[in-house]
Amino acid sequence: MEKTTLLNTLVILESIVLLVISYILFFKLKDLSRLKKIQEEFNNLKSSKNSARNDFLPILVHELRSPLSVIRGAADLLIKSTDELSVAQIQTLLNQIKSSSSTLLTMVGSILDVSKMENGKFEINKTYGDINSVLKEECSYFDPLTKIKKLSIQCTVDENIPNFSFDTERIKQVLSNLISNAIKFSPEGSVITICSRKVGSDCRVEVSDLGVGIPENEKASLFQKFFQASNQDGVQKGTGLGLYISKGIVEAHGGSIWFENNIPQGSKFCFSIPIKS
Amino acid sequence: MSKKIFFVEDDEGFYNIFSVPLKMKGYDVVRISEGGSVAERVIVEKPDLILLDIVLPDMSGLDVLKELRDREETQSVVVIMLTNFGSDENISKAMEYGANDYLMKYNIVPSELPDKIALFLGESQNFNVKVTES
Repeated sequence: MEKTTLLNTLVILESIVLLVISYILFFKLKDLSRLKKIQEEFNNLKSSKNSARNDFLPILVHELRSPLSVIRGAADLLIKSTDELSVAQIQTLLNQIKSSSSTLLTMVGSILDVSKMENGKFEINKTYGDINSVLKEECSYFDPLTKIKKLSIQCTVDENIPNFSFDTERIKQVLSNLISNAIKFSPEGSVITICSRKVGSDCRVEVSDLGVGIPENEKASLFQKFFQASNQDGVQKGTGLGLYISKGIVEAHGGSIWFENNIPQGSKFCFSIPIKS
Repeated sequence: MSKKIFFVEDDEGFYNIFSVPLKMKGYDVVRISEGGSVAERVIVEKPDLILLDIVLPDMSGLDVLKELRDREETQSVVVIMLTNFGSDENISKAMEYGANDYLMKYNIVPSELPDKIALFLGESQNFNVKVTES
């Protein structure tokens, strides 16, 4: 009898141990399948990043190659044909070398900015200043360029914004990117509006155009690296780094940047930075 | 009368450097910076040759080429692709659509361009033949 009881107890104990082991295994397997799922998601992310990089590379190479080819070509002509070229032609070629070198420098700067942002080494140099003056300066700079496309540029500033600390050159870079995008996408004869507003303790800047706007399904990707809107027919494609860098600059100021639909049509890019001394 | 070349190129820099040696050779170089008007202008102005970029602001140069070849009035015009996009896909498409040649901007310097297109204009190339006497 005692032997039977002992055996029964052993069987029960064994069953309990087996149950516990099965329970543990069950959860371990669940963990494993979760791990596998995470691994799959990671691989998908990695491959989508790689594919974005691969799609971008030909564009980047083309963008770098163009000014380089122009510089080399102009230099070659100046060396080989100096005696046959007119003064005006020499002037044109030299100006071309200068402007292509500037384009190249800007592009290399953008690539460097992206690299710094991704490695957490991007820094801004704040100085105390008047953001409205920066806005007006940028509007004046772009005014002659807008005339080429028969556009007009309207700049409205809020005089209640006090002087505060920001990186003038970097904010100019953001404005320059947003305004040149607005020029690119604006139909002939339309108006580009730039305005500043004091909202609470923040300074908000808005750049609006009356262009084609951004497709609904692409709005979420606007500020991602290498983003190119699909509705860019008639517009020369860029590197897709401008908005990504602008976001990095605004965030380094502790601010944010976003997109809104412009009313009645087009795009409105807004950024907001805290007014701090 | 000088031969007329349509240079379809939106990049001012490329136009400035590649048009110089052509003008020096006496060609009448006409710049067109968008693809949409090319076919109509070919019908009216009858160029002897077209240098055609692929990346244009309003449409692809390959579509311009296709349109030229599809239209009876423009199908025989000489078209040379002059681009920085050298992917196999673009090259084979250009050849399929009937491009007469495909030149890469970064593979040639502007001073070489007149020689590259001379044959298509019915002119002889300026070969630099070296004769070595033994």
